[in-house]
Parts: sequence; C-alpha cells; structure tokens
Amino acid sequence: MKLQGILVHCFRRSSTFFSVGLATGALIGGVLLTGCTKSESDSGVGKVTVNGVAAPQFTLAWSEYPSWSVFGVADEQGLIDGNPGALGSIEEKWNVDIVLNLADYDTCIGQYGTNEADAVCITNMDIVAPSTSRPAVAILPTSTSAGADACIVVGINTIDELKGVSTHGLEKSVSQYCFERVLEINGKQPADYPFVNMDPAAAATAMQTAQAEIQSIMVWNPFVMQTLADRKDSKVLFDSTSIKEEIIDMVVVGKDSLGKPGGERFAYAVLETFYAVNKLIDTPATRDETLVALGAKFSKLGLEDMKKVVTQTQFYNSPDQGLALLADGSKFRTATMPAVAEFLVSHEMVEAKPTFGFGDASAQLNFDSRFLSGIRDGIAPDSVK
Amino acid sequence: MIRRSIPYWLFASLTATGIIVAMLVYATLSIRQTRINPSQNVLPGIKGLAVGIQEITKQRGNEKKPKPSWLVTDAKATYWRLLLGLSAGSIVSILVGVGMGAYSAAEAFFSPVITFMAKIPPTAMLAVYMVVFGTKLEMYVALVAFGIFFTMVQSIYQAVKKDVAADHIDKAYTLGASEFEVIIEVIWRQVLPRVIENIRLHLGPAMVFLIAAEMLFASEGFGYTIRQQSRLVNMNVVYIYLAILGLSGLLIDWLLLRLRRWLCPWFGE
Repeated sequence: MKLQGILVHCFRRSSTFFSVGLATGALIGGVLLTGCTKSESDSGVGKVTVNGVAAPQFTLAWSEYPSWSVFGVADEQGLIDGNPGALGSIEEKWNVDIVLNLADYDTCIGQYGTNEADAVCITNMDIVAPSTSRPAVAILPTSTSAGADACIVVGINTIDELKGVSTHGLEKSVSQYCFERVLEINGKQPADYPFVNMDPAAAATAMQTAQAEIQSIMVWNPFVMQTLADRKDSKVLFDSTSIKEEIIDMVVVGKDSLGKPGGERFAYAVLETFYAVNKLIDTPATRDETLVALGAKFSKLGLEDMKKVVTQTQFYNSPDQGLALLADGSKFRTATMPAVAEFLVSHEMVEAKPTFGFGDASAQLNFDSRFLSGIRDGIAPDSVK
Repeated sequence: MIRRSIPYWLFASLTATGIIVAMLVYATLSIRQTRINPSQNVLPGIKGLAVGIQEITKQRGNEKKPKPSWLVTDAKATYWRLLLGLSAGSIVSILVGVGMGAYSAAEAFFSPVITFMAKIPPTAMLAVYMVVFGTKLEMYVALVAFGIFFTMVQSIYQAVKKDVAADHIDKAYTLGASEFEVIIEVIWRQVLPRVIENIRLHLGPAMVFLIAAEMLFASEGFGYTIRQQSRLVNMNVVYIYLAILGLSGLLIDWLLLRLRRWLCPWFGE
C-alpha cells in the first residue's frame, strides 16, 4: 500500500511535466529521425571489400521495360548482385556494389529527384525536367522505340478520321510527344486532335473492356501488344516507327553521384552488364531463355510476343551503336534533342529551356559518350577512379 | 492526472509549439537536402514554395483561348466529384442503414454482403468501377459513394439498433404514431448527429479514393496534377496542393461540426 501511495504521488507531481516531456520527446525524436534517415546512402560505402578495398555502393532505380529488365536478368544470372553488400562477377571486376531498386517508372523518377538513387532508367524526354534540379549525365542509351509506342483505335481507319476524337494517354510524356510528332510528320495540326490524360494501364484496360467513350488510346508496350491481343477489332493507326531514334531509353547517373569515389567505375560496370546480357540475347543458344526471362515480369507475353517486342524496342546492343547515336552531327544531336526541348517548353513541363551538352560537363543534361568508348576499347578497371 | 484540464495559456502555447515543431522538422529536412544538392526541389524552402503558389494560381492558356489557373480547374473538378460522391454515398447509407436497423428482413438481406464488402479496398477494384461506370464523372462518384457506403452503413445501422432506446419507440407507438412517423420523428432524429459524425469520419477515406482514381484516369483534378507534377519533380507545386487538401479538409470538418451543433444541440460537444 505504501509503495503504491508513493508511486501515485510521484505520478501526480509529474503530470504537468509529463506533457511537457512528451513534447520534448517528440521534438528530440523528430530531430533524431531527421538525422538518421539516409545517413547510409550518404556515406556511399558498402560493407563488402575486394582485395581489402571497400566497394562503394551505388543504387540503380529501374522499372520493368524490355531494355531495362536486362538488369533484372543480370541479377538472376549472377553478373551483378542487386542486394546491398553482395557482389556479382562484374561488380567484383569494377569493385563497386550495385544496388538494384525495382519500382514503378514514376517512382524511379522520384527516387532520382530525391537523391535516393544514384542512377535511373529513364527516357531522353522524362529526364529533362528532373535534370533542372539534379544535373544528370546520360551514360548509356539502351534502346529506341520503333513501334513500342502506338496509337490504337477502334472504328477509325485514317488519321483524318481521328480529327476531333479524344485520344487517351499519359499527358506530358513520351506518349503525347510521339502522338504530336507523328501528326506533324503527316502534315496535320496537333491542335485538332485532342489528347486527354489517362494512365496507360488504365487506358489499355478501358479499351480492352470496350468502354464506349474510349475510341483511341496512345500507349506503350506491353499495353500495345496486350490491347491488340485482347480486343480483336482494335488496330494500330500509327506508331513510333516513323520517329525512330527520337524516343531513347537510357541509363542516367546523377552528376553528383558520378563524381563520388567509384562513380565512374559504377558507370562502366552498368555498361558492361548491359552488353553482357545483350550478348546472351544475340547468342542463339541462350536467346530464347533470356527473352523469356526479360518478359517474365514485364508482361504476360510469351516468347513469340517477346521476339516482336524486342524489334519494336530496338536495343542498342553494342557500344558502337550507342556511339553512333550520340556522334557529332547525328540527327539525335542536331534535331531530336532540340525538338524535345521545344516540346517541353511549349507544354509547360519546364520553365526555361534546359541546357544540353554532349560531353559538356557544365550542362544540366550531359550525354557523355566517354563510357561507351571506354567499354568498346576495353578500358582497365584500375585506370578508372 | 489523466483528464485534468490545464490552464488556457499552457494549452494554447502547447498547440503553438506543436505547429512550430512540425514546421521546424520540415525546415531542417529542407535545409539539409539543400546542402546535399543546392538546386533541389524535393523539399523546397520558402522561396520554392512561393514559386509553387505562383504556378498554381497563374492564368493558363493563351490570349485567344484563356484557361483558368490549375488551382481553379482542379479544385472545381475534385470538389464537385467529392460533393456528389459523398452525398450519394451518405444518402444511400442512410436509407439502407436505417432500414437495416429498423427491419430484421433488411438486416438479414444486406448484412453478410455489406460486412464482406467493407473489408475490400475500393481502390483495388478500380477496374470494376471502370467497367460498370466508365471513365468519366460517374466513375468517381460511384467510387467515392461505394467506397464510404459499406463502412458508413454499418455504423448507421448499429446506431439505429443500439442508440435508439426501445421504450422511445414503444411510447411513440402508444401515442398513435405511424411506422413512418416513428422512423422520422424518433429514429432519424436520434441518429442524425451520428450520421453527421460519420460523414466527418469518412471525409478522409473519400479523399483517398478520389485522389487515387484521379491519378489514373483524370485529365483535371488534384490527383491528376499531383501525379503529373511529381513526375516532373515539381514538389513545390505538390506540397502546396497537399497543404490545400489538408486545410480544406479541416474547413469541411469544422463546417460539419457546426452543422451538427446547430441541428442537434442536445447531442452536446
């Protein structure tokens, strides 16, 4: 009884202090939380070591897409190990710890913007806006859309018939860009062709379930192939074949991350991984199983469909092809990127025209072909910082 | 001691401290992020947020075809959908809930399905809503309405069953009230404050469902702009929108509270 009395007394006395204490605790907790978050990625140093040297850790955010699922396949094949603190053969060679972060495309862009990821798989158009707040270096073009983006219609036969009909697709994205560019090439006014925002997965589902108001959608793969398979009366009105090499899928590294110790080794390791899996695709003995592995998570498409997918998403399967895209005086350099910049400004995606560079470190978005030529020439890991 | 009231000055200053602490945490995060990357727009400072306000209130379109600002367009779209969805959901919940509480037949018929459906997140079956209601206004209204219906109807039905004393009903019958009069004059009057409370509680979930659907299907509305601007890493715009959503939630909540006190003063605080 006596003890209980003392305890009650103590609690009574402390009740006012208790609430103040609670507030102080919350404050301290908040500050601690602020201090703790991300301290791990700040250091950038993993626990694994090669020859006694710690392998620095770099994160690659990727989403399921034919030429990006390559990294998932590389992880399954043991070329790299996507878990932190574990190394695959290529990681050992370059002495970096590549951490794979699989997420939705939008989430990947967010992770790049928040410095959560060192590198991201992204298109040449979508990287422009994030690069204005976090300067970016494009190190590797992985593929170009050659039919992977398509306008699918029902009950419409010509582009002229599409006039005034709403096309549903993701606004301010590759889809809208492709839509307007193809109209322009065909001598039409994009203003006469309304483009209404809808998530591509939702638009594809809407068309597959035969929603009356959805007569036309502009989506990318796997939605293109799945819609065509699931709705028999739908067909492709036009696709990205006529603007080949304008929509480029890439791997982009933050300029800050590239400058960290081991950043360039990370870049080389990413390139080597990409080309190693490409070799598996190009070798007849391993082609089919690699394609199936690529498509496994990307879609419910089988081997035959995946063979079509990789023609519509044309891989840059050697450093030479990547170098050709970025070469001096190439169409991509002189026409495509300026047109992309124009599109971004006219669609209010960026405030001011962003700066591009090709091997220009001061540009917000720098296409750096150094790594492509390094891999082509077989640069030695020891000579890279 | 638990529940002992504290002096007003202490209460007020603790309230202010809470708000200041929240702001300080944000400021700390923002400053730290700026130190990592000076041109970051992920946790914008005051200047960045001011630019965000400008962005959303700026007149859009061109001179020939002027369009209202994002804020006006999005607020109109979202709040109209919310209003229709909340109203439809509440009205149906009231009708079914009172019916279930009053009549055993209705209780037997609806109870199992409603209890089952209440556990299914409506956002997970967006495709079903799309197939049935299309992709336009009807879909948002249906999603919000059904989203709140299954849980709201359960609490209204419970309120009718538990909160209305049996002898009140008996007395009304004794005084010669018809069945309809009992429902309106005895049951409805007593559950009205619970109904308003329920609408208040369901504001949050309704907003979650609506924003999720807008992120996928809409070409205007808060969800649409938040997703699009997140993709462009314009977080200054996104946070202003979130703040507006929070504040408007507070306002609607407060209005409903006032409405309850005005309609049912006997219910107390």
